[in-house]
Amino acid sequence: MSDKGNTKFTAKRVTAAENRAKGLDIGWTVSGYLVSGMLAYGLIGWLIGRAVHVSLLLPVGMLVGLAISIGFIIYRYGVQGAAAQPKSQRTSTKGDDR
Amino acid sequence: MTGDVNALASGGCHIFSGCGFPAPGLQDFEWKPFFTIGSVGFTKPMLLAILAALVVIVFFWVAFRSPKLVPRGMQNIGEVAILGVRDQILRPSLGRKGDSYLPFLVSLFFFIYIMNVMELIPILQFPVTSRIGFVWPMVFIVYFVYLYLGVKNQGAWGYLKNMIPPGVPAPIYVILVPVELLRFFVFQPFTLGVRLFGNMFAGHLLLTIFTIASWYLLSLSVGLIYAVGSFALAIFVFLLETLVTLLQAFIFTTLTATYIASSLEASH
Repeated sequence: MSDKGNTKFTAKRVTAAENRAKGLDIGWTVSGYLVSGMLAYGLIGWLIGRAVHVSLLLPVGMLVGLAISIGFIIYRYGVQGAAAQPKSQRTSTKGDDR
Repeated sequence: MTGDVNALASGGCHIFSGCGFPAPGLQDFEWKPFFTIGSVGFTKPMLLAILAALVVIVFFWVAFRSPKLVPRGMQNIGEVAILGVRDQILRPSLGRKGDSYLPFLVSLFFFIYIMNVMELIPILQFPVTSRIGFVWPMVFIVYFVYLYLGVKNQGAWGYLKNMIPPGVPAPIYVILVPVELLRFFVFQPFTLGVRLFGNMFAGHLLLTIFTIASWYLLSLSVGLIYAVGSFALAIFVFLLETLVTLLQAFIFTTLTATYIASSLEASH
């Protein structure tokens, strides 16, 4: 293989390794948010529910936590993530007539 | 290992011979101590953990005790091992500036890998990491490094502040604090440890089930067909575990590298 070919191959492998590490990190962070949101607000709901004797506040808290987590994930990895990406790499199909 | 399994291995306990299937379970992860020091029993997993540490230390010491510019013999293998961790785990997350963490990540990766792969080596045949008590100290070490570097590089307040990306309105900030704190201090370390433990625990249990079932079903009856099937599955799980042992060490170390990267600079 020529030097140029070798460099291209190495660059491809480096990009693949970087994407793998990034994907692993994002994947576990997202699942972390989903579970933590439910647990944190479920706990808050449960504590308030115990104080005011309304047991329904536990599932309500969990649902609120899940909604917050999903909203934040969309914001962090959707809105902010897209803004951080160079225009050429964006995958939006807006204006695509195909 | 339990008396049930030993009895099965030593005796002629097969299907249709009147003895029931000694199903493997949690008892197969309990070991009688070789000896006790005070109230602490020294068991096989402890011996294997020490052995794993010695293997890593001795291997790298032998490989690099008198390094040559043109590597030969063990130094070749040692360099491939170190470059593998550097190029596949460290550099993708930390870049060149993270090279000073290479000794930590190499030690961590090979220590975990050797402990995992002991599952597949005859006589040893037990993954140390399937006992969660051996996993938590590694998680604590990783978390200590993670927090220490974060506070050192960003300051205590800056580190906590940087957990939430900038540009978030103040009320949302308040809403996110409980979620972030729980994720950072509970969920993240918990999953880091349980992922490694769970995979190795399940893999060892599967291997035990199919190996014991192959022996138990082995008889001059219809059981023979099932014994062959069970043995084929045991081989399949064995091959799968050769991948899982490596993959789990890789995931643990890669996540450690990404944690260190986020400590060195805010994740935005």
